[in-house]
Amino acid sequence: MREKKSKGLHALLFLFYAGLLCWPAAASAQSHPKDAEWPTYAADLAGTRYRPLDQINASNFSDLEIAWRIKTDNFGDRPEYKLEGTPLMVNGVLYATAGSRRAVIALDPATGELLWIHGEHEGKRGGAAPRQLSGRGLAYWSDGKEERILYVTPGFRLICLDAKTGARIPSFGNNGEVDLKLNDDQDIFPDLVTGEIGIQSAPVVAKDTVIIGAAFREGMTPKSMRNNKGYVRGFDVRTGRRLWIFHTIPKKGEFGYDTWEKGSAEYTGNTGVWTQITVDEQLGLVYLPVESPTSDFYGGHRPGNNLFGETLVCVDLKTGERKWHFQLVHHPLWDMDISSAPILADITVDGKPVKAVAQPSKQGFLYVFDRLTGKPIWPIPERPVEVGNVAGEWYSPTQPIPTKPLAYSRNGVSIDDLIDFTPALRDRAKEIASKYHLGPVYTPPTVSKPDGPLGTLTMGTASGGTNWPGGSYDPETHNVYVYACNSCIEPIGLVPAPKEISDLNYIAGTAGKEVEILKGPGENAGADSPKPPKNRQGSGYVSLNIDGLPLVKPPYGTITAINLDKGEFVWQIAHGETPDVVRNNEALKGLNIPPTGQETYNIGTLVTKTLVIAGEGHVTTTADHPRGAMLRAYDKMTGKEVGAVYMPAPQTGSPMTYLVNGKQYIVVAVSGGPYSGEYIAYTLPSAGE
Amino acid sequence: MNVKMRNAAAILVLAAMACPLGLLRAQAPAVESRSVWDGVYTEDQAKRGEPIYRKECAACHGDMLTGGESAPPLTGGAFLANWNGLTMGDLFDRIRKTMPQSVPGRLTRQQDADILAFVLRVNKFPVGKTELYRQSEMLREIRFEATKPAPKK
Repeated sequence: MREKKSKGLHALLFLFYAGLLCWPAAASAQSHPKDAEWPTYAADLAGTRYRPLDQINASNFSDLEIAWRIKTDNFGDRPEYKLEGTPLMVNGVLYATAGSRRAVIALDPATGELLWIHGEHEGKRGGAAPRQLSGRGLAYWSDGKEERILYVTPGFRLICLDAKTGARIPSFGNNGEVDLKLNDDQDIFPDLVTGEIGIQSAPVVAKDTVIIGAAFREGMTPKSMRNNKGYVRGFDVRTGRRLWIFHTIPKKGEFGYDTWEKGSAEYTGNTGVWTQITVDEQLGLVYLPVESPTSDFYGGHRPGNNLFGETLVCVDLKTGERKWHFQLVHHPLWDMDISSAPILADITVDGKPVKAVAQPSKQGFLYVFDRLTGKPIWPIPERPVEVGNVAGEWYSPTQPIPTKPLAYSRNGVSIDDLIDFTPALRDRAKEIASKYHLGPVYTPPTVSKPDGPLGTLTMGTASGGTNWPGGSYDPETHNVYVYACNSCIEPIGLVPAPKEISDLNYIAGTAGKEVEILKGPGENAGADSPKPPKNRQGSGYVSLNIDGLPLVKPPYGTITAINLDKGEFVWQIAHGETPDVVRNNEALKGLNIPPTGQETYNIGTLVTKTLVIAGEGHVTTTADHPRGAMLRAYDKMTGKEVGAVYMPAPQTGSPMTYLVNGKQYIVVAVSGGPYSGEYIAYTLPSAGE
Repeated sequence: MNVKMRNAAAILVLAAMACPLGLLRAQAPAVESRSVWDGVYTEDQAKRGEPIYRKECAACHGDMLTGGESAPPLTGGAFLANWNGLTMGDLFDRIRKTMPQSVPGRLTRQQDADILAFVLRVNKFPVGKTELYRQSEMLREIRFEATKPAPKK
């Protein structure tokens, strides 16, 4: 049945005519100042997540009530529990991606009423996608007359919709779609249905150009050193025609090809731009945050610095030609993909105006450059780093380390970082840590050995520092506000890859565990049952927490305000209620523990005229609230908490805000654990209530 | 059961239904006598679950269960917080209904239970003498508690 359905396009259009009829009236009732709308994923193309609204402020934040809510369960054939979207609100309509089919929904922003829905049934191609579920969002475009919505399906097709009806625009591409697996300067292998490439981020539209990157499966244990490449392309928003392509792995004869020794640029893949892209429309420049090459933790098959892996690249908006680049990590070995939108900031340094770009990172550095030239605002010297001894690996002897601002999150693990609530807990932490190789940022992975080290204990990688939600920027104070996980430690061990598993010399793993390829979603979908268990030699699993407590000291998660004029911290706070497992822990009874914040990695911030707003990533149950999480507001000048409102589940998509019919709303995506995805809109009680 | 008793029973049932499920659990833990701290799975079962986990789950949830960019961790603070105060039935049903992501429900109940036993072992919950149930209804009688309860007096 599903197969039959998948063969045809099913555009589901539920036109709520009453809603449509009201639309122009609602639209004309307001002047729609841009400050009151949220027209792109990050509020603007500069990646600021800033709106100068102030109806919701310190005096009333805790009075917020739910204006409307919408569960995403029915926008797909099963519920999703990781809703990561940030909606748009433009011209009196709210748009979002939702549900396990990544449907597009249009809602009345004041009431949540469904205006239309569009879904694409992709069958096996959707099921085999490396990045599934509803994604992070979509893009809006208008020439003043026509309005369009653009998004990318899990199966990697760019779809262009009429924003008024949700119907495909027939004149765009092939009846409203561009197959992104085609016309990519490479043949996607093994075929168009199962070929590994996709994207979960929201497209960007700047000056009539749609810009799309690419994403792949997690790259810890790839089957091969060969993979599809994550090029970036620009398309004409009117026709869907490809305008340009940027080769994130240079082709022969292109700049950077020689940073892939032994011809490794030919077969190495990944190196996509899976997170949000930022654009300066005035300068006509695009900022591409590029991820790691194949594979995440072993680079012996790609000797050299590997441009443009983990590099911030600036390209021309019209042509895609490279203007400048800065590689944050040479010869990547730590999965330190540049994971969030670069932030554009017009700042004043030493009395001089500077057009800057600031890049948050998993490694907790905020890299700040002149966005015209790529020159660092403050020195980023090459510093010697440990050179490892994994057979066949190629090591960069130095890495660029910013002198300013200082790292805003822990980015290495030392004995001093270990938990010290009590001597007994510290002893247990030391015992666990003794099984690993420790060191500062860029301490290389080790081969895992049963008697130790099992691997290198790292921060960063998949979940430390700042991941895809990125930061916010306040053009009034020139502060970047950025959340970081300060305790998301992760071991990186390598084990020899059996030939039947992978053609790499090493893949991620732990000594003592059976080596098996880590299969991605969609693989082996038709198989009935797994292979019978093989004999093993004991388990290599070592729990990296102690009675539920993180191995390292608090704060576990922070928000930091960093002033870009000076490159200095303005404030730093622990974000989130102290977890139940800490507050209720028997081992900590009688101790006075300051707020710890929470160990979680996907928290996005919103900055308004006066507030920095962010939800919690953990569920807690306290005397003040039942099982749930809080959406918290901080004074943006001081970091002092000024209000909080209850959410039934953790924040999993970054909050946004807008003003409609004279009322300010904050919409946030929540989900996780047993709670399926839901967008919740908060607003203040009406007058007289 | 006479009419009065039946009415009383009906009122109790209605009261229970009217009470939000989570609240009921939070307020009446005495009804559920076991938790994950009482040895609700066996070593053999966890061993059976490990290769299934590695084949079916690890690509997204990570080799060491620490999660990835596309899936949450199944160990540590965020995992414990997500399920603390709920039941093994809730966790089991979540796996049953939504995992593996590509074809939810493809694994058998026994395989799901074995994976869950493995996850419990990695999280250092104590091993017991009986295997983890594979029936949701029975698993709902086992509370998931992040922290070890104080010894009973």
